[in-house]
Amino acid sequence: MTLNKITVAVGGGHELDRAGLAALIASLPGLRVVPIDKNPPPQVLVWVTSRDLNDFPSVQSDTTLLLLTENVNYESLPETVTGLLSRDESPAALGIAIRQVARGEQYLSPSLATAILQKRQSKSLLTESEKSIINTLTEREREILEYLAQGLSNKMIASRLYLSVRTVEGHLANIYLSLGVHSRTEAMLMAVRVR
Amino acid sequence: MNPTETRLAILGTMSDLHRQPISYDLNCLQKVVADVSPDLLCAEITKEAWERADFSQVSLEVREALSPTIASMDIVLIPVASSPKQYADFTPDSGWRHRVVRNFDRLLRWGQIQANDVKTINGFGFGAFCHTVCWLTEMFWSGNDRAAWERQNQELVENIVRAIQRDRGRRVLIAVQCQRLHRLIPLLHAHDDLFKMVAYQDL
Repeated sequence: MTLNKITVAVGGGHELDRAGLAALIASLPGLRVVPIDKNPPPQVLVWVTSRDLNDFPSVQSDTTLLLLTENVNYESLPETVTGLLSRDESPAALGIAIRQVARGEQYLSPSLATAILQKRQSKSLLTESEKSIINTLTEREREILEYLAQGLSNKMIASRLYLSVRTVEGHLANIYLSLGVHSRTEAMLMAVRVR
Repeated sequence: MNPTETRLAILGTMSDLHRQPISYDLNCLQKVVADVSPDLLCAEITKEAWERADFSQVSLEVREALSPTIASMDIVLIPVASSPKQYADFTPDSGWRHRVVRNFDRLLRWGQIQANDVKTINGFGFGAFCHTVCWLTEMFWSGNDRAAWERQNQELVENIVRAIQRDRGRRVLIAVQCQRLHRLIPLLHAHDDLFKMVAYQDL
């Protein structure tokens, strides 16, 4: 019985940042730190952002990018960026974020989610067609949508509902499909308007 | 493996033994849980205590091994205890029954220290020895305590079954005091239609 460890590389920032992060990631179960230029490429690249907002590394298609940042003022993010992790999160949240993006799910720290919502919040009311779409959601999906509006991660939602993370992700996939959205941020913005 | 089938495994943990000089410790438990990486981990803590993050009355395993391990993983802990009372709390306070139970307790610890390796601990012979000693110990508890212990185990199983019914097709690991196993396993087998019970290595 051997756990298939997720390979993670650390880049960006200063050497001390990278060394500290690498040591922390290596201490978390199920994760393995590898060099950034390793072949095959790492599954996840944790990138410490700098002041230059356009300082994104180029990564291979097999690698997902998790940005360690405090900034949500990005004009646009490359498609490879799957997660935004705030520096004020706990070490355990880093493990959760890495696992979530490694599965191809998007990750957004609650504090960054709140900042994004404040920045982009639309005061517009739901249209009739949007209301009817919301009404088609199951009670459980609406409950999850409400937690999404609070900026909770998939693990946090699962823990609140005493469901597995996989089940929550299944519900989220159905929610995205029903709402016709393609990202967690879009779903969150919609969820806030539902409240 | 059928993706819609719930698979369930039980891991007996030994609160008392972790204070003894043995060659396996809480790191082993953490490694097993991290390696098995179940979807749901049913553990002995009440829902109220878990939601308040109050670990004052929980076992060493939950407080120092299970809770820290799952914090950075995708494992969701399901609190299944109906009360914070543990096996040792049922020991009679005084009198000859107290002395007999203490001696059985010493015998159990002696056996555990003699076993002293994971393979022996998980073997049939040692399991039979433990179950017999635990069963005999219970015989010397008061009638009320025996009934309370039985009720506690039944409620624990009901909480496990509810968690499984809420979330079908998942990999569920149950980590409970090993002294409960001889009670829990038959109670769980009564719900065989809901899940397939496997060894934790095969989860």
